[in-house]
Amino acid sequence: MSPAAARAAPWIRGDGQAKATGQARYTADLAFPGLAHARLLLAGRAHARIVRLDTTRARALPGVLAVLTQDDVPKRRYGSFDLVLDRTLFARDRVRFEGEVVAAVAALTPELAAAAIAAIEVEYEDLPPILDVEIALESGSPLVHPEIDSYRHDPNLAPTGNVAGRSTIVKGDATVALAAAPVVIRERYVADMAHPVPIEPHTVTADWAGDRVTIYSSTQVPFAARAKTAEVLEIPEHRIRVVVTHLGGGFGGKCDFHFEGHVAALARAARRPVRLVLSRREEFIAPDKVTHAMVVDLETGLAEDGTILARKARVLLDCGAYASDTPTIGQVAAMMIAGPYRIADVDIEALSVYTNRTPSGSVRAPSGPQACWAVEQHHDVLAARVGLDPVAFRRKNLVHDGDEGPTRQRHEGDGAIDTLERAVERIAADGALGPNEAIGVASGWWFSAPGPSGAFVRIESDGSGRIVTGAQENGTGAVMALPILAAEELGMRPEEFAITYQDTDTGPYDGGSSGSQTTFNNGRAVVEAARDVKRQLLELAAVALEASVADLELRDGHASVVGSPDRRVSIAELATTAHSGALLLARGSGVPPEAPEHDASACVGRLGFESFASPTFFCHAVRIRLDPETGIVRVLKVVAATDVGRVLNRIGALGQLTGGVVMALGNATTEGTVYGADGRQRNASLLDYKLLTTADGPEIEAIFVEHPASNGGPRGSKGVGEPPIVPTAAAVANAIAIAAGVRVRRLPMTPERVWRAVTTGDDGATEVNAPFGPRAAAVEAAVAAAGPDRR
Amino acid sequence: MTERFAAPTTLSEALGILAADRAARPIAGGTDLVVAARQGRKPLPESIVAIHRIAELDHQGVVDGALVVGGLTSHAWLAGSPDVSAGWTALADAASIVGSPATRSTGTIGGNLMNASPAAETTAPLVVLGGVVTLRAAGAGSRMLPVASLATGPGQTATTPAELLTTVTVPPTAPGSGSAYIRLEYRRAMEIAIVGAAALVTLDGDGRIAAARVALTSVAPTIVRAPEAEAALVGTAANAATFRAAGQAAAAAARPIDDVRASADYRRAMLVVVVARALAAATARARGESIPIPASRWAHGQEV
Repeated sequence: MSPAAARAAPWIRGDGQAKATGQARYTADLAFPGLAHARLLLAGRAHARIVRLDTTRARALPGVLAVLTQDDVPKRRYGSFDLVLDRTLFARDRVRFEGEVVAAVAALTPELAAAAIAAIEVEYEDLPPILDVEIALESGSPLVHPEIDSYRHDPNLAPTGNVAGRSTIVKGDATVALAAAPVVIRERYVADMAHPVPIEPHTVTADWAGDRVTIYSSTQVPFAARAKTAEVLEIPEHRIRVVVTHLGGGFGGKCDFHFEGHVAALARAARRPVRLVLSRREEFIAPDKVTHAMVVDLETGLAEDGTILARKARVLLDCGAYASDTPTIGQVAAMMIAGPYRIADVDIEALSVYTNRTPSGSVRAPSGPQACWAVEQHHDVLAARVGLDPVAFRRKNLVHDGDEGPTRQRHEGDGAIDTLERAVERIAADGALGPNEAIGVASGWWFSAPGPSGAFVRIESDGSGRIVTGAQENGTGAVMALPILAAEELGMRPEEFAITYQDTDTGPYDGGSSGSQTTFNNGRAVVEAARDVKRQLLELAAVALEASVADLELRDGHASVVGSPDRRVSIAELATTAHSGALLLARGSGVPPEAPEHDASACVGRLGFESFASPTFFCHAVRIRLDPETGIVRVLKVVAATDVGRVLNRIGALGQLTGGVVMALGNATTEGTVYGADGRQRNASLLDYKLLTTADGPEIEAIFVEHPASNGGPRGSKGVGEPPIVPTAAAVANAIAIAAGVRVRRLPMTPERVWRAVTTGDDGATEVNAPFGPRAAAVEAAVAAAGPDRR
Repeated sequence: MTERFAAPTTLSEALGILAADRAARPIAGGTDLVVAARQGRKPLPESIVAIHRIAELDHQGVVDGALVVGGLTSHAWLAGSPDVSAGWTALADAASIVGSPATRSTGTIGGNLMNASPAAETTAPLVVLGGVVTLRAAGAGSRMLPVASLATGPGQTATTPAELLTTVTVPPTAPGSGSAYIRLEYRRAMEIAIVGAAALVTLDGDGRIAAARVALTSVAPTIVRAPEAEAALVGTAANAATFRAAGQAAAAAARPIDDVRASADYRRAMLVVVVARALAAATARARGESIPIPASRWAHGQEV
């Protein structure tokens, strides 16, 4: 089979049978002798001072093995990627969101653990919750972190007040350009918080042996989880092993470090293995990874002919009670607001703002869908103002090969324009629109994430291959597809490879299942290791075939002389030879591609996303039908055209694209977290947080455009996991605006919001729905309640 | 925590336990009880009587023109029965959209009624169709109660703890009748009614409305009839204008609430829509037109 055919062939992933038959063991399925059960005491209130915390009664209960608070762990603050070191394992003096961990217990049974939690006495003094990012920015607003000025932080950030981070993307002088622009439109778009909702909730089991602990965790990033556990518990990293059995989904919600530290500390205190499994409600409120609520203010200047001249924008990201990785995502959001468009002058500011809500973070393409939803609706509004149709407007302004990005990086390839043309062509192919039907389009871009990563490849004595990798499989199939890359190098079949993965003791470092980076980086490592094995095989074959290495090739499981296919020796025979001498072993890592050349000298808050490495370009075109009486929008078809550089594994790419589109449609129309005025989530259940079901999925047509990146992943590939979720909501929004004759500027575009827009013209951007409540009155009340010292 | 559990195989045994143990609560499919407990909304009862093995409660048939089914009859059976689809179509509409395939094969009509949720799917159809439940208690014989009188509030019924719902009986509809149940749904499965409406329409020889019944889901503490809407319909031509007027009459009399699923304003406005659509579907069926089951998707303009 040719390499190209192998990449396109249907392929059965190695973990497929175990998962489909129920044999696959997930973290909560693992059995341990003497296992104890953990439970967390969560604050249950948005903002309060802890006046008294007494665990005496809980500790005295029979069957309770350990009760921990911040007094029982090292006194140190930590923060995601060391951006802002603003949190501790347990709350000690103050709780800042309802899911904050106040204490943890381990007991012989889950029931005893629950009883122990109930026996912990906590006296709170409630403080007014800060729920609105704009209120949080007011001078005189109470502070979520009164001691913020003492926090350590990344040198590129200057956390102060309720602002955890500020990043700008600046080129030219947008103020001057806007003043001269003949057409200027200002708009506001507001997105509510959403959730990643993996089917498997966060689960951690810790098991000590001497001074070493093995942590079985449902994490997407085992190495990051190991590093943070070591840091917060002050244990050397090499004494911690993080193992993921099978992961039941993540969508970014299991990136970063969550409960590994709590459970490891509990297990050490209890002197037994201890397991924590979050309930579904806990899964909604406690992990610090939700999709950002955002307020986007846009101002764009146009020439009369529709050429975009300049853009100013401000993005407020609600980072919740702790900064997590939001400051980085703010910079990404600013790049997304610029988009893959030719704009001479840009001035975009992103603020990460603290509130008393569940902390946000890196959910699949963080900030991308909301930013794209805002700016691509804005583009349709701009187009209409100058009398252009949405496609013509994009055709005029999207970047082409060689065009300059928002920080003057040079774009490669015509992926942006090609995906637009292909998507529009295919969505139009279904013929005339029926009553209340409309088509909407949206374009965008997303970065690839170069980073360090390693893999070992070896040939076993029977001639089969084994990949040992630190990469993490979270269900996408990215790790399962690594054999395709190794097999192509070695002239073998993918199914001849076994994979050892997601265990920090065995695999070399990898950044984990995040940032669409597994194939991009670990694929590079596997290819490099496989090439080394190939060299070793050819050297052995040169001896066996009495030929020069330069004349040999690997194909169909053999080393053969080029042009004389009968002069060959099987890889299995070579493996036998090797196993009586020097073994066939190799390592790969490779040098991560560098960021494209750019000029970010005018930007502040630079955290690594002032250019987009090997960006993926895409356009989604959707056909919808609006029920104008109810506001219910049915998405009939989505054409998703994506320039992924190179398709390495078609079935895997299709899986990512299909799942991304369905997830995006839920974000677009039915999901969204509803908060009460008390700062607590009101729909933290799967009945009221409405994910779409398979029955709701539209027809999805995938188009892969291939403009290989010169500085990309294997074979010029670019990231594929996150891009499919980015533009769908935007395309649906633009279709709704056409079908309804009115625009919805609030995400999600729920049936009630669409109905309200249709019946009253209210676009939802000023809707009173905590956290974006009635501003002036709330500020006044909060300031008055906080008193003169702003605490 | 549940401390006592019994799984009797005869009705008399089950009634004996319910009479002797005041804390005992019956469980059939468990699709409400277990889910509520797992969500932390309501703990499992101290004493459980699992009735799923009682063959006497698992029967289905048409007797003297009436639909007579045991309390253990599943939503899946109701959705798949040609008899129910032909004669009591609104009930088939409702049963076919309850939860998911798993909910429909496990959940029972008895459980759905006794759970007394204001959002229950099967209740509004049974109210307009004149359904009656049979309740039995040890030593007290049996009594019959209209479905319309069964629920007294969310999770509350007019029964005693010793009583078990054994049978649901639904009389035949008059000639020239059609019925439908319409739910406002944001997604196609695993959904709970934002609002819903069941309608039973009987046409006279001239095609005018001779009689109509309308019941509403999720707009009051219990599922309620809408007498204003019914009165507005009688004697009128069956057309979009009269359906809408009836919907407005129903909405004017309804007292919906604001909650996390929808505002009261939206519910009231949607009530007009679902009542009008339920009447349209029921009338079309009364005329002998074929409206697919479930009517919700047809009525909301979605492909089935």
